[in-house]
Amino acid sequence: MTQKELYNQRLLNEANERALGFWTRRHFLRESAMGLGALALGSMVGSCGSGAADKQAALQFDAANPLAPKTPPLPGKAKSVIYLHMAGAPSQLELFDYKPELNKLDGLDCPPSLLEGKRFAFIRGVPKMLGPQAAFKQRGESGAWVSDNLPHFSTVADEVSFIKAMTTDQFNHAPAQLLMHSGTPRLGRPSMGSWISYGLGTENQNLPGFVVLTSGGSLPDAGKSIWGSGFLPSVYQGVQCRSEGDPVLFIKDPKGMDRDIRKASIDAINEVNRQQFEEFKDPEILSRISQYEMAYKMQMSVPEVMDIKDEPQHIHDMYGTQPGKACFANNVLLARKLVEKGVRFIQLFDWGWDSHGTDNSTALDEGFINKCRQTDKSMTALLLDLKQRGLLDETLVVWGGEFGRTPMMENRGGKTNPFKGRDHHVEAFTMWMAGGGIKRGGSHGETDEIGYAAVSGKTTAFDIQATILNQLGFDHETFTYHFQGRPFRLTDVAGNVINEIVA
Amino acid sequence: MRSIISKKLIWVIFILIGSVLIFTFSSGRKAVDFNTEVKPILNSKCITCHGGVKRESGFSVLFRTEAVGKTESGKPAIIPGDPDNSEMIRRITHDDPEERMPYKHDALTKDQINTLRRWIKEGAVWGNHWAYVSVQPVELPDISDKWVRNDIDRFILQKLDENDLKPAAAADPSTLLRRLSLDLTGMPVNPKISQQFLSAPTDQNYELLVDSLLASPAYGEKWTSMWLDLARYADTKGYERDNKRVIWRYRDWLIKAFNEDKPYDKFLIDQLAGDMLPDATDEEFIATAFHRNTMTNDEGGTDNAEFRTAAVLDRVNTTWETLMGTTFACVQCHSHPYDPFTHEEYYKFMAFFDNSRDEDTYEDYPQLRYFKDSLKEELNIFTNWLQKQTTENEVKTVKKFLKTWEPSIHSLTADQLINSELNDTKWLLFRDKGTARFSKVNLQDKDQLIFRYNAGVKNGVIQIRLDSPDGPLLKSIPIHQTKSWEIRAVELPVTVGAHDLYLSYLNPDIAGTEKGGIQFDWFHFDKSLPGRQSPEFAAQEKRFWSLLTANTPATPVMMENPSDMQRASYVFERGNWLVKGKQVTPGVPNSLNAMPPNAPSNRLGMALWLTDKKNPLTARTMVNRVWEQLFGAGLVETLEDLGTQGAQPANQELFDWLAGRFMNEHKWSVKKLLKDIVMSATYRQDSRVSKELLEKDPYNKLLTRGPRVRLSAEQIRDQSLVFSGLIDGTMYGPSVMPYQPDGIWLSPYAGNEKWQTSYGSAKYRRAVYTYWKRTAPYPAMITFDGAAREICTSRRIRTNTPLQALVTLNDESFLEMSRNFAFRMQDEGGASPDKQIARGYQIALNKTITPAALTVMANLYNKSLTNFRKDADRTCEMVGMMDRHNNPETAALVVVANTILNLDELITKN
Repeated sequence: MTQKELYNQRLLNEANERALGFWTRRHFLRESAMGLGALALGSMVGSCGSGAADKQAALQFDAANPLAPKTPPLPGKAKSVIYLHMAGAPSQLELFDYKPELNKLDGLDCPPSLLEGKRFAFIRGVPKMLGPQAAFKQRGESGAWVSDNLPHFSTVADEVSFIKAMTTDQFNHAPAQLLMHSGTPRLGRPSMGSWISYGLGTENQNLPGFVVLTSGGSLPDAGKSIWGSGFLPSVYQGVQCRSEGDPVLFIKDPKGMDRDIRKASIDAINEVNRQQFEEFKDPEILSRISQYEMAYKMQMSVPEVMDIKDEPQHIHDMYGTQPGKACFANNVLLARKLVEKGVRFIQLFDWGWDSHGTDNSTALDEGFINKCRQTDKSMTALLLDLKQRGLLDETLVVWGGEFGRTPMMENRGGKTNPFKGRDHHVEAFTMWMAGGGIKRGGSHGETDEIGYAAVSGKTTAFDIQATILNQLGFDHETFTYHFQGRPFRLTDVAGNVINEIVA
Repeated sequence: MRSIISKKLIWVIFILIGSVLIFTFSSGRKAVDFNTEVKPILNSKCITCHGGVKRESGFSVLFRTEAVGKTESGKPAIIPGDPDNSEMIRRITHDDPEERMPYKHDALTKDQINTLRRWIKEGAVWGNHWAYVSVQPVELPDISDKWVRNDIDRFILQKLDENDLKPAAAADPSTLLRRLSLDLTGMPVNPKISQQFLSAPTDQNYELLVDSLLASPAYGEKWTSMWLDLARYADTKGYERDNKRVIWRYRDWLIKAFNEDKPYDKFLIDQLAGDMLPDATDEEFIATAFHRNTMTNDEGGTDNAEFRTAAVLDRVNTTWETLMGTTFACVQCHSHPYDPFTHEEYYKFMAFFDNSRDEDTYEDYPQLRYFKDSLKEELNIFTNWLQKQTTENEVKTVKKFLKTWEPSIHSLTADQLINSELNDTKWLLFRDKGTARFSKVNLQDKDQLIFRYNAGVKNGVIQIRLDSPDGPLLKSIPIHQTKSWEIRAVELPVTVGAHDLYLSYLNPDIAGTEKGGIQFDWFHFDKSLPGRQSPEFAAQEKRFWSLLTANTPATPVMMENPSDMQRASYVFERGNWLVKGKQVTPGVPNSLNAMPPNAPSNRLGMALWLTDKKNPLTARTMVNRVWEQLFGAGLVETLEDLGTQGAQPANQELFDWLAGRFMNEHKWSVKKLLKDIVMSATYRQDSRVSKELLEKDPYNKLLTRGPRVRLSAEQIRDQSLVFSGLIDGTMYGPSVMPYQPDGIWLSPYAGNEKWQTSYGSAKYRRAVYTYWKRTAPYPAMITFDGAAREICTSRRIRTNTPLQALVTLNDESFLEMSRNFAFRMQDEGGASPDKQIARGYQIALNKTITPAALTVMANLYNKSLTNFRKDADRTCEMVGMMDRHNNPETAALVVVANTILNLDELITKN
């Protein structure tokens, strides 16, 4: 039996049951929309052979109800993920990776050993070293170093685990972002959120399972592909929720159409479709009827959820929201609301972290500090707010960029940049995770004394992906989808769970 | 006489049956079939560890030579004829779990073990997978029945008979009409033709209808829509910047090619290697844009060689997946895990594509420059003159240069940069005293350098030295400030052979500053224009320059490197392009047909090989694709993989018969292939299904009924445009931008590229003309499973989601179509709302609405009418603020029109 036949078999069985219900009771609407039996997923831990992979895929994709909630194969600690991606790649050397030795080298020529055989995006010739452009202190009981750029976050440093020896092999934004989110620097593979949406479905059938929010005025470099579904069915792609216009595309009734009429028209569509089903007996028609029901319900629930106005003032103050604007703080608060409503994966992209020092907006002592101010309060509030609601334990929060920044000052094209900035750097950067079964006050990995390269506990995007999947209850090695003649996985052929930060 | 023959026949049959029975009972069974019985066991139980990827203990079951060859132990694991001494059998039957295979997995079943044992006993005979064997003639099933309309039906009926099933009755004429017209042209048929057919739906008129649809220009648009997914066509370059790319001439080429029914082999040769055909025409060049739809990375700081390589690999993978139904991408990193292709063969095949001129340049070079009107005339005058001055070959070279600015050295290939840089990794830029190298430039017989450059400052000199930074001076070129990019020529002293060229730039005006003085785009070394003695020379030279520098539209095309610019190709170890292994020359995999005699060992030869009738994959892949477009599923469901991991063909004989007929009888005519299929009784069946049949043939694999499939994203848009009367049937030209909500394009660095809704009726063009931006595709179409086209998509997986409902319910585009549909219902339907509704249904489905459906719609109309009567504002909004239509009756009808456009019956092809 092929994969498709297996899907169809399920579709058919389900349709038959439902058809029976329809023929006997004729009370179709009452039970159609939500009653699509969510078949619990069998164990996905199996052999590594392709046959097993086929079976998994077959169990996973149900064309009749592709977003039915599913149980992960392993007991996961996290139910949902909020991924805060600082697009452009923030400097670890001004935030978390404290390097007093680098200060001593400030202004000196970069030693050839750090340049030979290396490639940088913009550094040419011999750049100068650049000391940390921020003051650091140890914070909380864990004694984690956090710079003064993050006064709010400093107070919650004990909640998180730092991953300080992150590395990548992509020094351009778009490929590095794709690698981080889809496991390959090229376009065409499913994003992490799509994998998760495919593996877990969505708990709240009135909302998408995978939501994307952007701030900073621009999409991330890799565009919408970064939340694309690649070779997975398109239903698993991220749904971008927008702060202007419709929160979800086409969610609002057209002008002139009131809710009563919309309801009546959907009822009419479904009534005629039911007549159609009686004639053709095609199970797809039943599925279409329930999708229209669901669309109607989404129209009710989405705008309500997406509206943060109903939050109390003290919560707005806590996050530092700016009502009506497309800002990071609003998105973070929205992310918390979405987690409460059962959305599985919320991806936030904040644009503007590419601190090259080519102008004041990308200067480490100006634009970068502004970016810190725009995000510090709200990301701190997120951790505190989730905690006070008892949601932090089951919500994994991830923070990071797509690569790090050089300990050298950028000299674009061999010239001195007008402002203090750092080039893209693949050999060291910091990320952090919190909640969702991650150790409090942990830290893993170290870089050398100037923060140039990882020296211990080196990790990659694949390890981050493996860890996120692990926290959700998936073994990244057996969570596969059959495509182009072989099983594919998010982590390709690499990745290890970073057990050192798992509680 | 007749009876004697019959008697003889009966005897023969008796003897035959007898011998089969004797054979079956004496030997127990017939011989084990490798493909259907053994290979599936090997694939599911053994090959993961003992195959193309891993060869544990030196044992692999991918090829027979490997399977019966010596393993690491020094002994073979399979000894043909001797299962008892074969290590394989010993290990799969072992008691010790440490010894027993498959290691740490479930044991083989008794039946499986017996099959393998018998197979070895019978000599471990290997078999080639059907899809890798050339298409063989197939005999028609000896079946006659009044249901049969053509030979396709014989194959189908044979299967039905075997399964004790009966075909469905023919669908009613209006359903057939709609099915046929959506399938062949992607949109509803025009009312005149539909009336003609429906008034006398005879067999003869059905055939006339088929012919007229196949001849309709809309036919080419429909099949192009399909092909664009395979070609990963987009109007942008992809990756971070995802800027505009002007490549729509390729889309237009496809439409024309389909419409003129270009034979499929020629259709493919043009797209794969049209540029290499003798005296290639502009059209043949444009066809090669097929493989220029690969992405170009314009992000600053990217390695152009890396993304050139990525594009080349994508061409290999796309060629195999879309044209030969084989997932070749696996072989990029290691030998194929299941199918008979080795790692090295991948790179031999890649070598066919490795010598195209493109190098991830910002301008997407090489581009075919498009001379129209007066420029075209100028080019003719110039060429005519040139022909009188020199050899045919030189004329070709000059003409090619005028049309493409190639072959040129792209400045981004410079190395050894000192005080110079690749500006934004795109153009070579010099500061004062800057130097850079171009390695191994052939200067033999070249006395002229033409270059494209941009000098932002006054003064400065470019020096070209041979072989070292302080080597002999070849040429010193004074540079003057330019306003923007300019093209200029200088004479060169004649030099022998190839040299490394060192360029340096001196400009005391900017000494000691960081300021860039000059940047280069490309360098073209050539012979100077012939015909100096001609009295017209000065005028013709001027003409040459006006053509060379004319600001023309251009399309990226394929072009082969000249012999002095060839690249060597290598195996990439584990698929890593930076780790180069053995050097390879172009070649095709051993397990398939050999290169045809006289086919050159280059991209053109590869195209000839691919379209050779002996190629087992090309015709089958296209037949399968066409079948899928009509029936919703291919004869082999996995269009992208006919290999051993793909699905089994639903009707192997029919599949091969169609593939053979497509190549031989139809001479690769896609229209004839389509006509065969749509004329069959199989295709014309009703798509209604009974509960009983749903149980017996749930997936319609046996074709017990007609197809019933959701329409494609393009069809859904196009038909609504037609019903509303808004459609602008203009063909060809630059892509258009229909309405989409604000804020879809928010790409960084997009510059001034914005989604600007097209003016006038251009926003109502067919979906195939919609501007396609890879990182932000048109949302309504992507929601209906359109492909983002970052890489090729062989088959769209149809989903059914609430977001789709939201598009057709709420998208302003659909509302506008609903409104105009309603106006049309009023105009054509008469005074009563019932008649208007019935007219709408008639327009959409060519048939009379059922009383039950009419009741539902009329109730909706009445409810809406009551509401709108109470609310003048909403009424005005619903009709689109158009005074002429501003009344509650029209508003209510808009709601009904919107509802009709959302009916399953419309979203689906019955």
